[in-house]
Order: sequence, then C-alpha cells, then structure tokens
Amino acid sequence: MTAAVEIHRLTKSYGHKRALDRVDLEVEEGSVFGFLGPNGAGKTTTLRILTGLARPTKGTVRVLGHDIATADNAVRADIGFLPDVPGFYEWMTAEEFLHFAGGLFGIARKVLDERTGVLLDLAGLTGVTTRIGGYSRGMKQRLGVAQALINAPRLLMLDEPTSALDPMGRKEVLDMLQSLRGRTTVFFSTHILADVERICDTVAILDRGRVVVQAPIDELKARYGAEKVVIEVGEGADELAEAIGRMEWATKVERDTNGTIAVTVSDAGAASREVPAMVAARKLPLLRMEAGEMGLEEVFVQLVGGGQQ
Amino acid sequence: MNGFSAFVRKEATEIVRTWRIWVLPGMLLMFALTGPLLAKYTPEIIGAVGGSQAAAILKAIPKPTYLDSYAQWAKNLTQIVLFAVIIIYGGLISGERKSGTAVLVLTKPVSRTAFVVAKALVHSVFLAVAVTVGTLVTWGGTALVFGKAAGGPLWTSAMAWLAFGVLFIAIMTLLSSLLGSQAGAAGIGLGVFALISIAGLWEPLAKYSPVGLANAPMVLAAGKESAILWPVVTSLVLSCLLVALAAWAFRTKEL
Repeated sequence: MTAAVEIHRLTKSYGHKRALDRVDLEVEEGSVFGFLGPNGAGKTTTLRILTGLARPTKGTVRVLGHDIATADNAVRADIGFLPDVPGFYEWMTAEEFLHFAGGLFGIARKVLDERTGVLLDLAGLTGVTTRIGGYSRGMKQRLGVAQALINAPRLLMLDEPTSALDPMGRKEVLDMLQSLRGRTTVFFSTHILADVERICDTVAILDRGRVVVQAPIDELKARYGAEKVVIEVGEGADELAEAIGRMEWATKVERDTNGTIAVTVSDAGAASREVPAMVAARKLPLLRMEAGEMGLEEVFVQLVGGGQQ
Repeated sequence: MNGFSAFVRKEATEIVRTWRIWVLPGMLLMFALTGPLLAKYTPEIIGAVGGSQAAAILKAIPKPTYLDSYAQWAKNLTQIVLFAVIIIYGGLISGERKSGTAVLVLTKPVSRTAFVVAKALVHSVFLAVAVTVGTLVTWGGTALVFGKAAGGPLWTSAMAWLAFGVLFIAIMTLLSSLLGSQAGAAGIGLGVFALISIAGLWEPLAKYSPVGLANAPMVLAAGKESAILWPVVTSLVLSCLLVALAAWAFRTKEL
C-alpha cells in the first residue's frame, strides 16, 4: 500500500517555541487515521502544514506523493480540508457555498448540481434557505464537512470535525467518515477518544509536539491491554482485591459491582502465577481470569497523562 | 470555470450582496445628485440667510458656472471618496484571513496570487463603474441645472482621479496583505496619501509620476490644462507592481 501522507522529521518552531518536534508519520492510502492529542499538542499545526497554510521549519512532508514545499493547485485538487473553526461567507446560503467551492475546483455544472444535492442531504441542510450567517455552530460544522467532500477528494483532512456537534450530529459525521473507508483516506485530528475508537483503523498520539506512538488501533490496545488482568470470583472479592492491592506488581486495583476485579499490573507474568495461588489459598471459586483490554482512553492517559501534570 | 474565475465571481457577487454596494456607490450618487444643485444655489442660500453683508460679498464674486459643479465633484472625489476607499479597503485581504474564509479558499485549487489579483481587479472595476455612473449623473445634473455642461473637463478630471483611486486600491491591497489590522492599514494608507499630496507640490515630480494625480483632477475640472499622460501611465504601472508585491507578500505569509 502507498502512503497518502508521509511526514519525516517535521519540526515547526515559532521563535523559541517548538510546536512540532521531529514528527514522523505515515498515513496509508484508504485508511481512516485518527490523529489524537490533548489541546495544544500540535495537531492543528500539523494540519496547517499538510494543507500548505504553514511551512515546516525543518523536515519533509509529502502529500499524495508530492512534496508539499513545491505542491501547487494539482495537489490541492485532490484534497478536502475542514479547519477547526471553518469560516464561511455569511451572505451565502449553504447551496451557494457548495457551488462556489465546487467552482474553485472547476467541477462541471451538472456534476456539481448532483453533488451539491447529495452533500446538502448529508449535512442535513436540504431546504435550508437562510444565509450561513444565521447558522448554529453545528450547522456550520456539517456544512464544513460537506464542502470538504465537494471534489470527491483522495485525501480528506479534518481538524476536530466533531467537537462542535451534538451527539446525533457526531454520530452522523462519524458514520459518514466511516463510509469513506477504502475509497478516501481520512485523516482527522481529535481529542475525543471515543471517536477514534469508533471509526479509526490507525491512530497516532501526539503530545507536546512529539508523536508518542503510531500503530493500528487493535495493536495499540493489545499492546497495552496485556498489562491488565481481570479476575472474577464467586465470593470474597473484597478481601482478595485488598490482598492483590498489596502486591508489588499491582499498580492499580478496580472493583466492579459483580465481583470482578480489574488489576493494572507492572509484571503480567508474576500476576498470572500468583493470582491463582492467592485465590486457592482463600478457597474462593475462580470464575474467570483473563488479560483485559485497555480502552484507548487508558492508553492515552498512560502515554500522555504524566506529561499533563 | 477555473478557480480564478470562480473567485472573481464570488468577489463581484459579494459586492452586490453586502454593505459594499451601499457605501461607495451611495456616497458617489449622493455627491453626484447634490453637487450641481449646491454649486448653483449655495451663493443664493448664503445670500438669503447671511443678510446684507453676505449679499454684498456675493455680488463681488462671479456667478457660478457648470465648472463650479465639476469642481465640487472633483473635490469630493479627491478628498472624501479617496478617504473612504482607503478605509474600506484596509481589510481587503486581512479581512478574509481574520474571518477564516481565506483558509477554505486557499486549500482549494486557487493560488494566493490569484486570490490577491482577483480582489484588486474586481474592486478596481467596481470603483471604475461607480465613478463612471457618478460622473454621468453629475454631468446630466449639471446640464439640467446650468443649461450647459461641456464634457471634456469633467471626464478628464474623473478619469485622472480614477487612475489615482485604482492606485490606492493597489496600495491598500499591499497594506492589507502585510498587516492584519484594517485600522492599521487604513492609517498608513492615509499617511501615504498625505505624503503624495505634499510631494505633488514639487512640479517636476508631479509632471512625471503618480503624485501629479493628487491635484490634477481639480485643475482639469476647472477647465484648465494639465498634462496627465505620464502621471496616469506611471500610476497604472505602479498599481500593477504593487499588486504583484502584495501577491508575493501574501505568499510568504502563514495562514
């Protein structure tokens, strides 16, 4: 598979402040790529460089095979972009804006009319004749997604596309992005972990200008999931949880109401040897013991949480 | 239709659909409609309200002619309308940067050069149309009020001013590419106007450069001769250079 985005040792400095520090990233064509990070991590800066709005201080950036430093209209013709706060001509209607956006790509009138209809429908703005100036933030965001798709882009880049949406709007946008899998490369930044978990196949976590990790989402969860052990006993869970909590390898013990104990461990081998012995010593019925799966949120907190203190 | 023409069309439609259609044309139309009447009746009004002393002074000065109406038009153009142009266009480029609309446009197949050139071009044409209509109305109004209105002085004056107005659109295009603040760009634009007005007093410079256009519309409107070929040509060349410089400055900016 070829890469839609290749970033190599990208550094971006503003005076003495480094917004991005030797970032390496590769986004495969056709994937839905989640670019995750807390606020201020450098996600927007990366997207601004990818779209040619800002320039790298150092490093190389290739988009759809073209070096962004020399990229021209030909590259922009194949990308769709939604900034974090899209700015529209408020005197236009949604339909007029989509026509205008399509006109910038030189799309033929007939095709443009068809696409405008489909995209207005997708954005839930069919029949809305008021000017964009009177739209809510959610409506603007949905129109923003629609305008980014007007040229049927090979690479769709979105900066925090769901942050201004209500739960229904979020679901619709995520469903739509998911439906593009395999046809269009979707690269979107977010700080909402649930969005990434729901639709992305690959994820990169950015923290203070550095990529902490980039991996397929399953691999990432499995990698960190192995560090968690879930134990279910028929009775005596409280006392067992307390005893486990005193063990050296147990870094965190959580109790569930149904007798489940979830233990975050520093040494999974030691835990798997000693937990059955502890259960047996107390003559408790062991119903279940397995390597638990860590949610992306826990992975995220584990990877960047320390730095937030 | 390519990106450039689509953007040109947007820019033109924006004029018609927003406040822009009311401000400059409104101002020009008001001056065009009232100018001839004021030129004709101001002495009478002053005489009526000023008593016998004012009437005596008025008797000493010649009766107003159609040239006074033209002078009124030229004075409004060189002072008030030019100031309005400077203030209105202080945010020509920076306004779109601030509102975020530039980001949506420039991540599509529209180069930054096309963005800047389209704006300078559309607004120069807009100014030309507005001034031409205003001059036509002034001409017609003058003919009605004074019964006589030779076209030459009025049109050469208005066209000389138009070249000057276009030069200021180019200056404001450059300033609004460089500066984020509309007020800052407008302030500098007014400073440039003051400098040009002062420089225009030096005759050799006024004869061969755009600074000659600061005063030429008033001279021409009075029915006198003024060699404006060089000032007009150099002004148009300089306008092109300034827009090219604005495009270069905008290309180097991060959005």
